[in-house]
Amino acid sequence: MANPRNKLTWSLIAVVGALTVFPVLMLMLGSFSEGLTAFGRFTTDKYVEAYTDPAFYEVLANTAVFVLGTSLLSTLLALFLAYLNTRTDIPFKGLFGVISIVPMMIPHLLFAVSWALLLNPSNGLVNLALKQAFGLDEAPFDIYSLWGMIFVEALLELPIAYLILAPAMASFDVALEESSRVCGAGTWRTLLRVTLPVLRPAILAAFTLGIVRSLASFAVPSMIGMPGRVQVLATHLYTMISTGFATDYGKAAAVGMSVLVASVTLIVVYRTLTAESEKFVTVSSRGFRPTLVELGRARMPLFGLVGLLSVALIVLPVAVLLYTSFVPYSMVPGARAFSLMGLRHWHAVLEDPITLLALKNSLFLAVAGATIGVALSVFVAYVIVKVKTRAAGLLESLSYLSFSFPGIVIGIGFMWFFVQTPLYATIWALLLGYIATYLPYGIRPMSSAFIQIHSHLEESSLVCGASPLVTLRRIIVPLLVPGIVAGWILLASMFVRELTLSVVLSRPGTEVLAIQILRYSEDGLWGRLSALGIVMILISTGLVVLATLIGNRFKITAA
Amino acid sequence: MEIRISGVSKSYLAEGRTIKALDDVNLVIPANRIFTLLGPSGCGKTTLLRCIVGLETPDCGEIRIGDEIVWSKDANISVPPEKRGLGMVFQTYAIWPHMNVFDNVAYPLQVRGAAKDEVARRVAETLRFVQLEGFERRPATKLSGGQQQRVALARALVAAPKVILFDEPLSNLDAKLREETRKELRAFLGKLAITAVYVTHDRVEALALSDQIAVMRAGRIVETGTPQKIYFDADHRFVADFIGRANLVPARIVADEAGRTLAGRTLVDCGLGRIACQKRDLPVGGEATLCIRPEFIHLARGEAPAGPHAENVVSGRIESLVFVGEAYEAEIRAGDALLLARADPDAGLAEGDAVHFALAPDHCLLVAQ
Repeated sequence: MANPRNKLTWSLIAVVGALTVFPVLMLMLGSFSEGLTAFGRFTTDKYVEAYTDPAFYEVLANTAVFVLGTSLLSTLLALFLAYLNTRTDIPFKGLFGVISIVPMMIPHLLFAVSWALLLNPSNGLVNLALKQAFGLDEAPFDIYSLWGMIFVEALLELPIAYLILAPAMASFDVALEESSRVCGAGTWRTLLRVTLPVLRPAILAAFTLGIVRSLASFAVPSMIGMPGRVQVLATHLYTMISTGFATDYGKAAAVGMSVLVASVTLIVVYRTLTAESEKFVTVSSRGFRPTLVELGRARMPLFGLVGLLSVALIVLPVAVLLYTSFVPYSMVPGARAFSLMGLRHWHAVLEDPITLLALKNSLFLAVAGATIGVALSVFVAYVIVKVKTRAAGLLESLSYLSFSFPGIVIGIGFMWFFVQTPLYATIWALLLGYIATYLPYGIRPMSSAFIQIHSHLEESSLVCGASPLVTLRRIIVPLLVPGIVAGWILLASMFVRELTLSVVLSRPGTEVLAIQILRYSEDGLWGRLSALGIVMILISTGLVVLATLIGNRFKITAA
Repeated sequence: MEIRISGVSKSYLAEGRTIKALDDVNLVIPANRIFTLLGPSGCGKTTLLRCIVGLETPDCGEIRIGDEIVWSKDANISVPPEKRGLGMVFQTYAIWPHMNVFDNVAYPLQVRGAAKDEVARRVAETLRFVQLEGFERRPATKLSGGQQQRVALARALVAAPKVILFDEPLSNLDAKLREETRKELRAFLGKLAITAVYVTHDRVEALALSDQIAVMRAGRIVETGTPQKIYFDADHRFVADFIGRANLVPARIVADEAGRTLAGRTLVDCGLGRIACQKRDLPVGGEATLCIRPEFIHLARGEAPAGPHAENVVSGRIESLVFVGEAYEAEIRAGDALLLARADPDAGLAEGDAVHFALAPDHCLLVAQ
């Protein structure tokens, strides 16, 4: 029994290692090379060039403000929401579940676009409306700024931060707080002296993850930063490889290396913190409902605030896109706008051959990528959970490595590789890149599914005379179905909207939806962009709804 | 079918330390008997069971089931569990939650490629045997603990295995159901000519179910024998203590006094005075432990009447008295020993009362230190 398992472990290590370590190696080699064609000759020129560029330090400063501001804002908002939900008597708590899940269905790119449509200085809907109403000469808001970027990105990172903080706060042992109250401390002092310090690891984890994610973010910097000429590292890299005639992949690789190192370091910090926060929080008295803080007169105003936030997170982006897709050009909603509404943008989009190609490519990548990704994840998760050898531990570290890879950076690494192969500029390059980068998202639901399958279920099948393969087919896979479905849909919905890797790897002929949306925005075709955006949201939402339905149907009530 | 285990050892590496789960185990499990591996948790009994069934690989030694060697380090033989043709009931029952009762029980036959009508017939037969007729279509998750246990038993029996193994199958049931299921299991196994290997840490279960018991400790078999032998006539102090409640009193073997014949008895001096015990071949002057079970101490009120026939009669005083339902548990101070005894609820005893009792020499067991 030990032998085939070892073979499986090592072949998976080879596959996952190739997918994750290889692009990093290529990135490193590339950063010491002259250029995509001069691969192989060692030079440090690119590093010198990249890091002596005075513009680089401005980019660095912008990036620091952007990621720290975003993280701080999203963590504070999430903390506020998590506290309201788990510890106070605020009404309609179902709304919090919606806030934490639904925004994930709206692609970041479109979220950024919708805020640009509302708050851009030349014809943003809110700006237009305010100018009309108050007879202003200048637009009161300019989303195309560092502050605008921080605001939008923080709203995007809010759900993730909330999903880290809310469970930590919910499983918090209330006796810790109660004893503080008995000792004579008031609600506020208890919050500051006991609650927040005990939650510190979870708060820091949310903050760190916010930094990693906004560092890798490309949607907001490209949609909001670039029009305002605010460059951060992601857009700086993008400019180097896409604009002008002198694309410089060597320089991009040199900059990318430090982004990668920063990101990996932060993820290590994040994992240490989450391990610590679990240690902190799991000592809770089960079965005791925390006493809820009565909000009193602040109850309704606070609820209004939460309602406003959920409107900004969910309703507004979709409504703005839908509205923009029907009106001929940007105008304030009213009788005139209503009379001019029509389907011309929808026609234009659905008749555009490149858009249709992008749609076809994205659907292919979603279906094929999710299928292959999940199949690979089943085996990897099996080894990680059920085979407890040192090699299995190695596989686990390898497979979670790409979690910390910023898409655009790893895309550059892949580019250095694909250029040497016939895969360059084919859909297969995108497929490989997607699977490699998003593998951890497939493995996670699968590992938790495996953890739930008691080893006795598998062993009893062996004792009954079934071979390991029959056991896999008849016992393990059927029990995994909910996890497989969840993992498939998660990957598929991520692939439908994939942007950061695609900006590097997509070439004419291999356009995908997000790239087409990016092109529309560069050409200022907001109506078409919105129409295509709605299509993207529909596909993505459809997949998530499907996942929930199938997940419920297959739910096995534990014995 | 007989199972022979020779020289089997198994160690684990846990937190940097090597733990010997099995330490040179030699054991013959007789055919068509209920054989129990009994011991405290961590003694290696489950590891031994898992080595027999093939889910665990020993470090060395040999395991033979019937005439077939299923594992041998020297001959480099390792038959995988699915090829050993055994049946097993797991502690968690391991009923597959995505299948109904029929599919669970039919599984061993299906994987052996049995014909459809043959499968249906034998599943029906087996379900009838475990009294689960009419439950075929019931989802596995909609069964009570006792029913799950019987489905697990049916699944282990359906393919007519040579040997059936039980890994603490009753430990997940509540006390009352455990007693009923134990009787059922005894009845089921009694009707079959099958070798059953049963692992438990519950001494009552072991005594009630087994034809033979092997008591294990720290990866070794300490003693093997019938339930009666283990209970009344254990050779080892650990076994005597583990198998039931026992008063253990240090004692020294003394020579017979002149003029008194004590045929078939061994005399000791201990905290209770001079006591005649079961015959043991122990050297005079040697140390041993006197083991007296509380249920064999019959208390009588008052001091012992002095007289020539007062053999094995001990006087003492009740130090504490605890009501436990069907009886009182009394702690008796006798000499410099403190003994646990049971007293009838209507004996009318009170703390501080003087009592005396006579010990039957057959129930005074001498075990090695």
